[in-house]
Amino acid sequence: MVEAFAVASGKGGTGKTTSTLALGMALAERYDVTVIDADTGMANLLFHTGLDDADVTLHDLLLAERDVPVSAAVYDRFGMSVVPCGTSLTAFESADPGLLRDVVAELAADTDVLLLDSPAALGSKSAVLPIVLADRIVVVLQPTVPSLSDGLKVQEYARSYGTETAGVLFNRARPDEDVDAVADQAARYFGGTTLASVPESDAVRAARRAGEPLLAHAPGDPAADAFHEAAAALDVRAGDAAGVADRFRSAVVPDRP
Amino acid sequence: MLADGHIPEGDLCRSRTDADVGATLADVLARELTGYVVFEPQGSILLGDDERAVVTFEAGVPVLAYHPGSDAGGAAALDALTGELFHAELYELPASALAAAHRVDEFRVAPTAPARRLAGDDALVERTRAAAPDERVSEEDAPSAVEAFLADTEGIEAIREEARAEARSRAAEWGLTGQLDDSEEGH
Repeated sequence: MVEAFAVASGKGGTGKTTSTLALGMALAERYDVTVIDADTGMANLLFHTGLDDADVTLHDLLLAERDVPVSAAVYDRFGMSVVPCGTSLTAFESADPGLLRDVVAELAADTDVLLLDSPAALGSKSAVLPIVLADRIVVVLQPTVPSLSDGLKVQEYARSYGTETAGVLFNRARPDEDVDAVADQAARYFGGTTLASVPESDAVRAARRAGEPLLAHAPGDPAADAFHEAAAALDVRAGDAAGVADRFRSAVVPDRP
Repeated sequence: MLADGHIPEGDLCRSRTDADVGATLADVLARELTGYVVFEPQGSILLGDDERAVVTFEAGVPVLAYHPGSDAGGAAALDALTGELFHAELYELPASALAAAHRVDEFRVAPTAPARRLAGDDALVERTRAAAPDERVSEEDAPSAVEAFLADTEGIEAIREEARAEARSRAAEWGLTGQLDDSEEGH
């Protein structure tokens, strides 16, 4: 069984990486979960998982003539398999985003749930590849006009590639914001379900500083509770791992332009 | 527990069974009740006390909502009151006895939020807004920029169309046209 979700937002600062890891940890209670930092231009996941010094990262897997196996970039952390991306600009420039599909295909063969932490942008091929490759997207939103507007754009891009929305997650909600009312209104435009409304929390920053996912650093925090709620509301569809892997492999993604 | 700790017990002035939330809110508004209402879902004797929710009022206008069972306050607590009949008990209290609880910002709700979300009664929403003090209407109840944005269906459709067109032209640019989900191109 495998389903690949791209966790996307369109706009930066919505807490996408925090959300990806929190959903991943919560889902890992029921599934075998692999989290991939597909934001190859602005890697972030490694800082949230204490993998700042990781020797091998996704960048090394995206080289045309790579000399390491995919498994060398997979780290067991916090009950998940984590594939971090490096932060070197040179490595980013020599990486071929088109090779992501092969990497994802290989990882998909051996896990239940794949979460792709996707770039907060739509302006390049490497930025859209995660939503092209994923089965469905999870849209991380803040209850603000720019975030909703960008979230709608991501959703339309994804739909253009046949990638539907599994759910939306409202993150970093302040106490004075009536997120439920916004979520009710937004549900008319977004596919899937409203997974949860996650309150803004100081614990998120503390977790980031500690190099740990929120659910490991502050499991009793209200934000952590909300992420558990979100993971429970996400209906992971049973798929055929081999089928998914084949689909990724056969995706006609030519060399970069 | 907010209900036990910060709101003293008031004088019971009305107790009704099979109460719908809208009728109860209308009753509270007509009485200009200052105090609180305890809503208990019908049949919750079997469920225990956890399902009760409390809404407080000043001169008939809702101020805060709290659901002890989930420790949810404010708008989240209103969810506990959706779509059921309740046993509703109205209690009266002097405003001074509610002042401490009413300072808990995260439990406060917009004056018209309970009527809007739970009763769906536009006339009741309007009557509640008219009864609310000006500062509460202007601070909490003006439609926000977000609500206005989401209410503009044409504007949203324009954003979506533009995004679809952009996605297609960029797909061509990036050599991803074959990946588009497009029956016309035989995907």
